[in-house]
Amino acid sequence: MADVLIRSPEQDSAHQRPVAAEAQDVVRHFGATRALDGVSLQVREGEIHALLGPNGAGKTTLLRSFTGLVQPSGGTIRLRGIPSEELGYRGYRKLFGFVPSGDRSFYLRISGLENLVFFGRLYGLRKPRAFARAWECLRAVGLEEAARTWVGLYSHGMQKRLSVARGLLSDPVVLFVDEATHDLDPEGARRVQDLVADAASRGTAVVWATQRLDEIRGFADRVTVLDRGAVRFVGTVPQLMAISEVRRYVLHLDGGTSAGATLMLAANDVLRPMATVSLVDDSQGRNCLMDLEDGAVLGDAISALTAAGIRVLACREDRSGIETAFLNLTKKTDQEV
Amino acid sequence: MSHIPASVGRWAALREDLGKIPAFFRRDLLILWSYRTAFFSDWINMLVQVMVFYFLSNIVPSNRLPEYGGQPTSYIEFVTVAIALTAFVSISLSRVTSAVSTEQNQGTLEALLMTPTASSTIQLGWVMYDLLYVPFRTAVFLVLMRVVLGVTLSPAGILPTVVMFLPFIPFVWGIGLMSAAAILTFRRGQGLVGIWAVLLTLTSGAYFPTRYFPGWLQTIAELNPMTRVLNGAREALLGHPDWSLVWSAVPPLLPLAAVTITLGALAFRLALTRERRRGTLGLY
Repeated sequence: MADVLIRSPEQDSAHQRPVAAEAQDVVRHFGATRALDGVSLQVREGEIHALLGPNGAGKTTLLRSFTGLVQPSGGTIRLRGIPSEELGYRGYRKLFGFVPSGDRSFYLRISGLENLVFFGRLYGLRKPRAFARAWECLRAVGLEEAARTWVGLYSHGMQKRLSVARGLLSDPVVLFVDEATHDLDPEGARRVQDLVADAASRGTAVVWATQRLDEIRGFADRVTVLDRGAVRFVGTVPQLMAISEVRRYVLHLDGGTSAGATLMLAANDVLRPMATVSLVDDSQGRNCLMDLEDGAVLGDAISALTAAGIRVLACREDRSGIETAFLNLTKKTDQEV
Repeated sequence: MSHIPASVGRWAALREDLGKIPAFFRRDLLILWSYRTAFFSDWINMLVQVMVFYFLSNIVPSNRLPEYGGQPTSYIEFVTVAIALTAFVSISLSRVTSAVSTEQNQGTLEALLMTPTASSTIQLGWVMYDLLYVPFRTAVFLVLMRVVLGVTLSPAGILPTVVMFLPFIPFVWGIGLMSAAAILTFRRGQGLVGIWAVLLTLTSGAYFPTRYFPGWLQTIAELNPMTRVLNGAREALLGHPDWSLVWSAVPPLLPLAAVTITLGALAFRLALTRERRRGTLGLY
């Protein structure tokens, strides 16, 4: 199992801001299963903190512990530096918003506007203020046109945006987002990300749980990688990428008249001993996977191919740096498997 | 940053939570109105019920029924008060439990419990619509009985009946909360509510005078608080309206109502705590 890697927060631009949400040594058992095993996490105001992990890593359990839906077996949860017990039932719940992963969290037979007004009133807003705030939030997420439509008639993407609107109703100190984009198309996912990023730019701390690696690059300020209930990494996205060393690339080759097995044979002769190539199943017979041996350098391999008359038309990482780091951090040892 | 009022004291919190109750009423009204067929079919059911009891009253002789205020009573008069009361029991009981299971099924229970709202406020919110709707429905029903079937109830008996009825509300609500706690825990159990409603209604002598019950059932009827309210209401509305009826009917109901509502609230709170501890609040 990989060691826990914690990168210094002093390297981050946001490290001077106050801590909005904090979990300290949080433990949660479900029978014999340890869903959270001493998890600690700190999120500062205005920070988007990605909670990355495979299925069953403990992301949802951690978010549910933060939102009071699950009682931790041990550890402390603080918002604005105050333990949840000291804030009290109401005081604690006034400080956060939540965007759940599924669609099933609204009254489907009433409109988006009425849903937001209802929840706004449960946050203590008086009726006129609740209506005004609901309209503000609907406008912010681009749903003002559908405000008076039953939520049951909304698309997935619209319901998700409504979820974000509800999460922001109380202008919370921290917004917990649980796999909000897993069932959305790229455009819908981008829209939800933009909404959350906008809230963060106004000072809201965001904890964004996801297993989609592609969405954290250029979005999250910091990342915590969770696996089997334990923290495997804490740091920024570049720091996460830095711990990975990509060794496998997809190449598109032009070997003149040769292609397929002939081209692979020629390429392997040229690359030996620094790399091996194998054909990718395609109609052209010119795409291959190249595995670099330890110590070998990508540029040298490409130069060798070019020198042998095999042109490298395109080269990309087989997996992204984030994906490689993630897989390394969360891979199971033989004994664990 | 926050639009939400800062932390408040106990009384201010209570006031704030009471201010949330109309939001539940509005939500439930809008949802029920969205099911217009069901909304109107309730009224059609009531009309059908009236017709059934009207025809029954033609074949049940008055001398088989108790007298109120020394006057013979027709069967339709005898059951009119019972229909109004049993409607309250069945609607209220089913609404508390169906509120929990519906919120669980559509995933809104968790969303509710993440708001800064006390669970007791949520419980009150769940029944607020019925607390206002059932008296309205009862009033319409009684007017209908008067206009269509000529059932005459003493107007002077209405206020004593309402007062006798008041402690019965927390009693029924308490049973509803216990059933809701069972549903929160076991995910199923709506049948329990039906059993409660049938037991309370049948053994109260709602549709048949209790003197025709076998001995053991008469004992149960005497212990049933609904019997007490029903007899008092019949006496007040069909016989001599008298406040002494209130003083004899209400005091035994008060401790029972207090115990039932306390046990119901406690059971519901324990069920919520258990679900949070197990992490299964959202499962259904």
